[in-house]
Amino acid sequence: MWYRFQRKIAPYVFILPGVLFYLMVTFIPAAIGIGLSFTNWSIITPKFDWVGLRNYERLLTDTLFQTSLSNTFRYALWLIPGVVICSLLLALLLNTKVRGITFFRTVYYLPMVTPIAVASVIWMWIYDRRTGILNYIVRLLGMPPRNWLNNPDTALGSLVVMGIWLSVGSNMIIYLAALQGISRSYYEAADIDGAGYWQRFRYITLPLLRPTTLFVIITTTMGALRAFSQMNIMTQGGPLDSTTTIVFYIFKTAFTDLRMGYAAAVSVVLFAITLVITFVDWKFLGKGVSYDAD
Amino acid sequence: MQTRHILKALTYVALISVGFVMLIPFLWMVLGSFKTAREVMKFPPTFIPEDPTLANYKEVFSRLSFGRYYLNTIITSVIPTIITVMTASMAGFGFAKYRFAGRGVIFWLILATMMIPYPVTIVPLYTMAYRAGLVNTYTGLIIVNLSSAFGIFMMRQFCLTIPNDLLDAARIDGSSEFGIFYRIIMPLTKPALATLTIFTFTGNWNSYMWPLLVVNTDRLRTLSLAIPLFNGQYSSFPNLVYAASAMAILPVVMLFIFNQRYFTEGITMSGLKE
Repeated sequence: MWYRFQRKIAPYVFILPGVLFYLMVTFIPAAIGIGLSFTNWSIITPKFDWVGLRNYERLLTDTLFQTSLSNTFRYALWLIPGVVICSLLLALLLNTKVRGITFFRTVYYLPMVTPIAVASVIWMWIYDRRTGILNYIVRLLGMPPRNWLNNPDTALGSLVVMGIWLSVGSNMIIYLAALQGISRSYYEAADIDGAGYWQRFRYITLPLLRPTTLFVIITTTMGALRAFSQMNIMTQGGPLDSTTTIVFYIFKTAFTDLRMGYAAAVSVVLFAITLVITFVDWKFLGKGVSYDAD
Repeated sequence: MQTRHILKALTYVALISVGFVMLIPFLWMVLGSFKTAREVMKFPPTFIPEDPTLANYKEVFSRLSFGRYYLNTIITSVIPTIITVMTASMAGFGFAKYRFAGRGVIFWLILATMMIPYPVTIVPLYTMAYRAGLVNTYTGLIIVNLSSAFGIFMMRQFCLTIPNDLLDAARIDGSSEFGIFYRIIMPLTKPALATLTIFTFTGNWNSYMWPLLVVNTDRLRTLSLAIPLFNGQYSSFPNLVYAASAMAILPVVMLFIFNQRYFTEGITMSGLKE
């Protein structure tokens, strides 16, 4: 009797804490957030009014919101190819049976374990106008030094470079695992057919890596859409709002301007964008290639 | 044969130069942390400290409550890590090894919720913490990190590989369901538990956005909050900032260097879903 009872109840006891703690910080706030987005609540007073779709209407004419959207997309559109190309190239190089693979993997992955707040501070000094190492190199090359983070033309690009530095390592490891999973027989068959290095890459490696590339693109896009810490620490969204990304805008609207309802509406839009982008990625890049018989 | 050697050499040159570029920020920080205040502001910059000193490290402790920030970071990293590893492995085991009403729906809900970007929930989450009076408390810092979808998912995949016969054998021997988890599942999933522990710990140690929101007293500041503030206040003393940064990074870097295998496994797992 007790035995049967505990077998019935056991799975619920096992999953309950994990599921509850998880949904408590994801599903429940997301649901509350949707509700909040229809209010004009500011955190100062407990009172609020339902304002229907007014927050969303206001977004249509909010130029800073539109700037933040376009900044986020520009950030993503530079970051994604940078990360995909760099991590794929590094993985290809490491896959050529070189020695010291563990060493290189460690070095490339190191930025990923560095606290983002600390990495941001160090990069601020690298980009520093007067004493930064970047301007030192730039001067050696005979180019004029720049105020990288304080110039609207270079600020976002500087953050993209740092973003590539941050995430190249983990994506390289993912590519490397995928490369090592490609059966040698394909390459042997190609050798018999007289295929060169480029052809083998173009017609075997690249198509077989397609699911991996999709994964890298989706996770990098997600990362780009939620970029915040660097912007908050290094540029404060400036200069001239050129690095105000959508999450930075949410943060500012909610916690500086205290417009919780409006910030919630921006969050809902961000969520919708995430869904659409993932769906589009999936739709257009997701058709996996398989040369297996099944 | 000749071209092959050249290609190999070129590969190494490329790998080493990229490695060097990746390391520049770390080298810059570590070397800078041993320079004097005067040398660090010099132009053109020096690379190797002319007059290496440990004074910066000492000074960091006297200028700010660095020990306190360390302690706060340790508390808010270790406690949630232990709890997450427990809750996620139990949940993973539950999903993998039992059939129960609602299993499909709940599991699907967790996977679907993974689609929600973290910052989307931040406004309502802060509201909840504010209402619950958790702003400026350790509980407030910790409570958002007590479970992990990645962890549940990973542990489920691992538990699926454990044969059911093993669990049934334990049941025949009179083991309770929790005994099975504790005496069979936990020992057999050790590598997965290690991976999860290290990933969770690193994530907690490095978290920035939530602490930034929920903490605004010096008493509760973590390293990730303190370092940028310190940088703002001591912007003419990068040598001190470098020393503080080096100390903030050290624990995670050490953890990573000595447990690389688990990191690589964890990333590969996240890349090979299904």
